[in-house]
Amino acid sequence: MSARTVTVRVNGVVRTEESEHHTTLAEHLRTALRLTGTHIGCGSGDCGACVVLLDGEPVCSCLVLAVQADGREVTTVEGLAGGGGLTREQRALIEEHGLQCGFCTPGLLVRMAHAAGRGGGEEGVLAGHLCRCTGYVGIRAAVRRSAGDAGAGR
Amino acid sequence: MTGEHRHIGRPVPPRHHERLVRGGGRFLADLRAADVLHAAFVRSPLAHAAVAGFDATAARRDPRCALVLGPDDLAGRTAAIPTVWRLPGQPQESIPVAVHTARYAGQPLGIVVARTPTAALDLAEAVRLDLAPLPPVPTVADALAEHAPPVVPGAAGNEAGRIRFGSPAEEIAAALARAAVVVEREFTLPRVHHSPLEPRGVLAAYEAGTGLLTVHASSQSPHAMRQDLCAVLGLRADQVRVIAPDVGGSFGSKVFLYPDEAMVCAAAVALGGAVRWVESRAENFTGAYQGRAQQATARLAVSGEGRFLAFDADLLADLGAYATQAGAGPHQVTALTLQGPYHADAAAATVRGVYTTRVPTGAYRGYGMQEAAFIRERLVDEAARELGLSPVELRLRNLIRPQDLPHTTHTGLTYDSGDYGAVLRRAAALAERPPPPDDPPWVRRATAVVAAVEISAFAPTALLEAFGIAWSGWEGVRLRINHDGTVTVHSGVIAVGQGIETSLAQIAAEGLGVPLDWVRVELGDTDTAPHSDLSAQASRALTLAGGALVIAARQLAGRMRALAAGFLKAEPEQVTLRIAATADPSSPEAAFHGAGGARITWRETAHRGYRGWGRAHRTDRIRLEESVDFDPPQLTFAHGAHAAEVAVDLGTGRVEVTGYWAVHDSGVLVNPLIAHGQITGGIAQGLGQALTEEARVDGAGLPVTRSFREYTLPAAQDIPEDLVVEHLCTPSTVIPGGFKGLGEGGAILPPAAVACAVAAAVPEIAHTLTSLPLTPSRVRAALRAAGITAEGGIR
Repeated sequence: MSARTVTVRVNGVVRTEESEHHTTLAEHLRTALRLTGTHIGCGSGDCGACVVLLDGEPVCSCLVLAVQADGREVTTVEGLAGGGGLTREQRALIEEHGLQCGFCTPGLLVRMAHAAGRGGGEEGVLAGHLCRCTGYVGIRAAVRRSAGDAGAGR
Repeated sequence: MTGEHRHIGRPVPPRHHERLVRGGGRFLADLRAADVLHAAFVRSPLAHAAVAGFDATAARRDPRCALVLGPDDLAGRTAAIPTVWRLPGQPQESIPVAVHTARYAGQPLGIVVARTPTAALDLAEAVRLDLAPLPPVPTVADALAEHAPPVVPGAAGNEAGRIRFGSPAEEIAAALARAAVVVEREFTLPRVHHSPLEPRGVLAAYEAGTGLLTVHASSQSPHAMRQDLCAVLGLRADQVRVIAPDVGGSFGSKVFLYPDEAMVCAAAVALGGAVRWVESRAENFTGAYQGRAQQATARLAVSGEGRFLAFDADLLADLGAYATQAGAGPHQVTALTLQGPYHADAAAATVRGVYTTRVPTGAYRGYGMQEAAFIRERLVDEAARELGLSPVELRLRNLIRPQDLPHTTHTGLTYDSGDYGAVLRRAAALAERPPPPDDPPWVRRATAVVAAVEISAFAPTALLEAFGIAWSGWEGVRLRINHDGTVTVHSGVIAVGQGIETSLAQIAAEGLGVPLDWVRVELGDTDTAPHSDLSAQASRALTLAGGALVIAARQLAGRMRALAAGFLKAEPEQVTLRIAATADPSSPEAAFHGAGGARITWRETAHRGYRGWGRAHRTDRIRLEESVDFDPPQLTFAHGAHAAEVAVDLGTGRVEVTGYWAVHDSGVLVNPLIAHGQITGGIAQGLGQALTEEARVDGAGLPVTRSFREYTLPAAQDIPEDLVVEHLCTPSTVIPGGFKGLGEGGAILPPAAVACAVAAAVPEIAHTLTSLPLTPSRVRAALRAAGITAEGGIR
């Protein structure tokens, strides 16, 4: 079979698993590495649910092959808070009711974490993320709140 | 008594959201399963064709293949899915799982099961179909044309049946005859995709030894799914267990068992193993049922003084390839709610179901009420224009007043309580603001206000029986105080992101007078959840499960108090319950207090109760559990008014919603945070339908909208920054707790509000604004037809 080993450092832990050449990073994370927090909403890079950080940059993991991530660093939603307290962005999303079903949330949170401290505008954070539940009102409030909290130096 | 534990009305974030933001969701595709095989479907590539051959020889020969079931195999293994709500005259009483005629592109014809998802897809492509093409019938007009090709056997002229509701024809005719103005328009509400972010999916596991089938499904109604699966597979109710894990949105699209889902379960039975299918986005676009799909010819008759004399409509329901379990149900609700919140001398509507060679249609958030609101509010607006009256004034003149309630409409709906005028006036006041000074001359801006009622507590048993709808409408809960004093709620409603588990916990905690974190709500498992066919649909979960819970908590609180009184050697009314906000059940701060400093903790009371101690009589019940079935005495009606401000670009035809104000009365709000989220989410979906969303096919009936690129969901920038939601509160008079529904309310009014606002901005094209969505090309065409251009618009 057309498979090879893929080594990625995921949320700080080095993981080596087999992957077929056509397997996407999203599927590799979900299936081989059992990190199911990354959700696949469309498989075509349109919805943003599967966004992860690849070497610190946000990518739709459904558009990246697992083999392309070999030797690189990946951060998923599971790695944002680790086992510890919630991040500023996670708290803001909960308190502002920026999620309902929670399916689109992981990709959005990864994007918000990436934007934290970079001062990216609200529209920049939200572009490329679809949510069918909230009407974005709570999400926008959460993005503002977490940016404001960051500005307050917390 | 429960002064320290007021939970109803508190904006508490749903507790499971912490799990979700950590990536700990348990959606269908996330579930672990041992030795699971993967399914893919062989779907029809044509809109209409006889299936002459289904050759799976090559697929079966492949070592990765576990099973292929084609139409003939399925015919031997499955019975048809029963329908529950039929039109009079409907020729088709069930939905076959095994089909030998494809009636829409994307219809599942067979299932392939293999070791990996990729192998299943490969092998599904290796199946050779021999299709004999039949002429497609993609539109209602095509279906009703003379000599149209027949879609469903027995449906003469492709009609699926018809029904009429409301005033007799002669009353309508008389009202039309004495009217000063009769406005008649043709309306189109196109097919739309629900597009939950999580597509559908099923994980079915069958154990041949025990004969037990366990199905995990991204479902909005596990009990209904179980009943249908029993019928399809010939299994007993106690052989099938359906469990809904986290569900990533549904909006009406996951309420019924689909044939493809049934095939996954049939394959699991055939293999004696576990089979999973996770729907792709493209499959969701082509194979999942769609919403709306209604055309109407409707009229409003108004007297010279601006009094509504009659609403009347002929509705054409595009049912698609077959009537789903509820078939033309949404369209019947359009007919029933056409009159809306207004007085009229007469109101009536006829529904005709039509078969086409497109994917079937069914429930979508707003269920017929959005269609009714669009038709009605546009007619009212047009009448105001013809009479030279302000549209708000015309509405206020005709709204049913609080002192008129309860009021029974011409279609037999009894509105219980509310203040429709107050809500409309509040929305109008919120929307009032001076226009911005910097609009360019080619932009026209205006505001409109519209109103609707929202059916909730669907539905009293007597009503469903009268309509011949084979569903249970009541809702049951089981409320238990465990031996350790913690509290567990079991309900048949489902969590689909609407936060119902938290709202129910708030009701239970307040009813028992305990801290919120003592309560856990268990939903979604047919083995433990009380029976519920309708579950979390139709703005009913909070009203009915919540109403049942209010009753159950009252009873159980009384039993705990009586037990504690017995242990404290006091009368129940001499006992006081004091629980500190952060106490756990065994803490001394959580205790019943008697005379002279005597006390017993909540936990000890429960623990002794479970030993059977402290009963007044040997025959008294022991388990600290109350089971309540709540059958509402009647429907209860929430209501709302929405105002939209739009800016119309006369050059491009683009409509921008620049402000939106929604005022609702959903009775007692259990959780304002959740309520607010439900309304804003509904508004966003409604704005999508107003402006961009339409499921389209080409001339051959093949789907054109197959991804989020061709089908535009509202994105963050499409939702106005100025979006205001307010709630007034008139408690329901028929639901314990005073609750009314709100899950659909947000979605009902946006298309009406936006279209009426565009009409106000550009009255020259007002009469044409009767078809959705109001895309730039549609609006631009109307502008040009009226001779309006960006240049000419410069004043």
